[in-house]
Amino acid sequence: MPARPTRPTTRAARAETRGETRPQEPRPPEQHRSEDDPRIMLDRDVGADLYEPIPPYPTRTEREGEFYTRGDGEMFINIGPHHPATHGVLRLVLKLSGEQIVDVDPVLGYLHRGVEKICENSDYYHVIDQVDPLEYVSSLFQEWAAVLSFEKLMDVEVPRRAEYIRVLSGELLRVASHTLYMGFLALDLGGLTPILYSFIERDEIVEMLAALTGARMLFNYFRIGGVNGDLNHEFMSRLGDWMSRAARQTEANAGLLNENEIFVRRARGVGVLDRATALRFGVTGGNLRAAGVPFDIRRAHPYSIYPELDFNVPTRLEGDSLARYLIRVDEVRESIKIIDQCLHNMPDGPVMAKLPRLLRPRPGRAWGACEGPRGMLGVYTISDGSDQPFRFRIHDPSFLNLETVPTLLPGNLLADTMTIVASLDPVLGGIDK
Amino acid sequence: MTLAARTWGRMSLTARLTAILLPLAVLLAVGTVVGIVFILPPTMDFLGANMPLVRFVVAVVGILVLTIPTAFVLIYMELKVIARMNLRVGPNRIGPWGAAMSLFHGFKVLSKEDFAPTGADLTVFTLAPVVTFLASVMTLLVIPFAPGIFGQDLNIGVLYFFAMGGLAVLGLLMAGWASFNKYSLLGGLRSAAQIVSYEIPLTISVVGVVLLAGTMSMNGIVLSQSGSALDWFAFKQPLAVLIFFIAATAEANRTPFDMTEADSEIVAGFATEYSGMRFGFFFFAEYVNVFIISALLVTLFFGGWTAPINWPWPYNLNWLDAAGIGILWIPIALVALVVATDILGAAIWLIGGREWSAPSAFGLGLLIAGAGVTAAVGLACFIAFDWVQGIFWFFAKTYVFVFTFVWMRGTLPRVRVDQLMGFAWKWLLPASLLNLFVTAAAIIILNQPVIPR
Amino acid sequence: MSFIPGLGIAKGMALTLRRFFAPKATIQYPETKPDIAVRFRGRLQLLYDEFGNLKCETCFQCAQACPVECIDMGGHDTKGRFYTHWGPAETYGERREESALRRSGRPVPDQAFTHFGPIDLVAVEEILEARDYDPGNMLPILEEVQAAYGYLPIAAIKHISHVTGASYALVYGTATYYSHLSFERQARTVAVCRCTSCLLAGSGRIANAIGEGLGTKLGGGPAGGVALEQLPTHTPGAASPLVTLDGKPQADVTETSAAAWSRSLAGKSVA
Repeated sequence: MPARPTRPTTRAARAETRGETRPQEPRPPEQHRSEDDPRIMLDRDVGADLYEPIPPYPTRTEREGEFYTRGDGEMFINIGPHHPATHGVLRLVLKLSGEQIVDVDPVLGYLHRGVEKICENSDYYHVIDQVDPLEYVSSLFQEWAAVLSFEKLMDVEVPRRAEYIRVLSGELLRVASHTLYMGFLALDLGGLTPILYSFIERDEIVEMLAALTGARMLFNYFRIGGVNGDLNHEFMSRLGDWMSRAARQTEANAGLLNENEIFVRRARGVGVLDRATALRFGVTGGNLRAAGVPFDIRRAHPYSIYPELDFNVPTRLEGDSLARYLIRVDEVRESIKIIDQCLHNMPDGPVMAKLPRLLRPRPGRAWGACEGPRGMLGVYTISDGSDQPFRFRIHDPSFLNLETVPTLLPGNLLADTMTIVASLDPVLGGIDK
Repeated sequence: MTLAARTWGRMSLTARLTAILLPLAVLLAVGTVVGIVFILPPTMDFLGANMPLVRFVVAVVGILVLTIPTAFVLIYMELKVIARMNLRVGPNRIGPWGAAMSLFHGFKVLSKEDFAPTGADLTVFTLAPVVTFLASVMTLLVIPFAPGIFGQDLNIGVLYFFAMGGLAVLGLLMAGWASFNKYSLLGGLRSAAQIVSYEIPLTISVVGVVLLAGTMSMNGIVLSQSGSALDWFAFKQPLAVLIFFIAATAEANRTPFDMTEADSEIVAGFATEYSGMRFGFFFFAEYVNVFIISALLVTLFFGGWTAPINWPWPYNLNWLDAAGIGILWIPIALVALVVATDILGAAIWLIGGREWSAPSAFGLGLLIAGAGVTAAVGLACFIAFDWVQGIFWFFAKTYVFVFTFVWMRGTLPRVRVDQLMGFAWKWLLPASLLNLFVTAAAIIILNQPVIPR
Repeated sequence: MSFIPGLGIAKGMALTLRRFFAPKATIQYPETKPDIAVRFRGRLQLLYDEFGNLKCETCFQCAQACPVECIDMGGHDTKGRFYTHWGPAETYGERREESALRRSGRPVPDQAFTHFGPIDLVAVEEILEARDYDPGNMLPILEEVQAAYGYLPIAAIKHISHVTGASYALVYGTATYYSHLSFERQARTVAVCRCTSCLLAGSGRIANAIGEGLGTKLGGGPAGGVALEQLPTHTPGAASPLVTLDGKPQADVTETSAAAWSRSLAGKSVA
């Protein structure tokens, strides 16, 4: 191919090279300035509001207008979406007066994938791996909720061994998730070490689950009517190893934090979520139990084999960040207790119910919910009789827990943002869906 | 072709080397003689006439040079110690046990782009790291490392130290203000508030020591602690040690008081917008600061360069050098090294069999012999020279505290700003005042004479 | 929190100091490899059976089942005859072209599966220059390109898309929509009659000469866009020796002029 001179790429540019000029389109009047606007860099007076997180569109609601009007001595500051301490891609626009938080505007949706719609276009079998990455820290629970809903829809009887395996793996993952929670809380408070101890613990559990399910993070293990694969020797030996030191090790790791004066002082009385507010916002899980409501789906609306198991629902009255942390510490103990019971009472039998290859439930609707590490994970399915769900609604606890942040933050210091958000334990995969 | 070129072409390699080296050697010898005879005396006279100036220049250069290995060692130590506390291995690929890691960190920082954000006040932005770094380095000037080895023996050494410590705040504040970034601004203001608050208990806690020693000179304070470990001020002023330790941690912006660069709150604080060597200066200053506060802690409370126990046997150069060989010990040590290397290498080669090639056998021999000879020479110097002992004890004690700071960083979470300030004003300040009051009262009541020096 | 201030901190410090000397959890990866569970399905590799044969049978079941269509397969069948492919259509040009043709209701040519070759783009450039690189004039551009090359080369279409800024799919859609545009080279056929009278009149020598000029021989396949064939039957009423071009008798082709004629023919048909 012979070399040819490069040509201007746009028509207007080519016309200019030929000497033709075209009428310029009139510029729109400058109304709202954003940091994305290239014109702003031409400004001579580089003012302090150059990097203000002001939205690039006209304010849409009264609340937004109120938030983005600055009072005297106030400033905006962005925490997230890529800030060292935000979980996932949460963005909090803080209005600060000095170091004190005046107002918060949480901005969500950086991780939105439209999972519900994808699920509505998948077979019932495929839904399970679509919902996996929602709660990516503890994905078995999201599977569990979906599977519970489908099983109700199809009247499937799950074999008892499969139920035991579900509880066993689920509680293992709850321990992993709570351990990670403690580590991240400590990391957000400036401690470097606990997060690594947490990850060591979590890695052991996750490797163990990889031996059982075949994956470390997105397990895709639960099936409608059972689980994919029975217990195997490798998993059991790893589990036995871990169980022999689990209680001691988790206690030691927690001891690094929950007796530490600096940690306790920073967490106690910070972000107090009282009982009424928690109930009004629909907060569930450890955050609700820290506020004094002993609500646990495993006891309140029992599913699987939880009615047969002996465990407590730890509750605390304070409702502050420290209580939320200590609830997790207690829940790890309870989970280890449950795992022990599961191992002792594991029945024999199949792990999958007999099901047709093509699942076409009768038209109807079903709600399935389970107690995840962050609260009630629910799935509401409507079937129209085809092999795909007509409507697939995911109820994510992190979202409701995170909703309390704008009420908890104002009045606190900038440093407390991290304590409060981390102690609520949001997982952005589930929040943004 | 000239005659010279033709001759050169015909010469062998040895002849060429000789032709180059011999005139050079002659020139060098002549130059040396000329230098010693004609240039050295007037130079020495001149330098001798300006002794304080020479001493100052040498001290400044020496201290500037000292900061580099200090910072490198501290960075490596922090990486490694925190890693081990985290049940990790830490750097282990570059150099033996990853020891060259911080060196390569330095190269990396040097090779990075130095940019300033739009809207930054460029002059202040550029000056800030320099001010911070120089403030740290200048503080080192008054620290006595060993008897006779110190930058300058100011009679207001302690005061000078706190003045320079105050200068460091200025650098951080400049950085925070000039970066045109709200995280930086918050970091700068936090550092100002924090350091100003902690200066007060820090200074007052030292006043007790100054009362006991009767001098503000660092050397004087060290000398007044000489004796055994029981003479250290740490045992006379235990509360002051605690206050000083906490306040100094805050002063150096170390965990748990690293408010200014709280990475989970204000990203990197004042250093958010810095990159390249400008950031490197901050980084250096931080680690030099850790060294300095440890050194100061040692100097003021833990006896500085004095040994914790008294040596029961008499020792000096004459006792050690009974044969009266003197400076000839140096060539003797070198010869011993060569001989020992040969013997060890030959032994390894003969005993080791085929797995050992000659170079590796002699290499190992050199390693072992070198270690042995170095240890022997070191021990001899340690026994013979006061200053070697002083440096050993000083650095040993200082690194214990450096380790403590790193250890704290590996363990503790960060305190909150208001708690930090409340702690300074509500607890540390009254406690330091109490300490001062009790010390002063005790001196008066016990009628302990203030030792003039 | 205990009642003695600092005890919790001291306990934490003691723990980290103990861990300082504890065995480390790090796995030094390239030197030591961690145990990977037998059931772990994250291994991206094809498995072999105990005889060393590839276990994959290219049955496409995995690609079919993959919910996010990240599995993409292609390969020859067991006899090495066909190239088969499964995967997200939009990632593969040939798939896209194939589906476009299928939607336009035309047979899918095998050509669509072969990679397009480079062509001399001078003619395309001239046409585009004349048309002001305007995507609005796409149909005339494509027609002129076809007129210049005798067909629409894929490379020309890619070039048009690249230079005018119109998306490739759009240009391709235009080209496949109109039935007078063709991606296939319109091959010309020179046929030589080999009946007795023509042979006697020298058609054998003419065929050799034409073959030489075209660079092929009778029955040797097409060369330079021109095929040399044997005429099945002598056209009634035509003079011997009979040479046809695309079915039209060429009266002026003689033994002497055949070589030059065929050479000019080969030169005329654009390569």
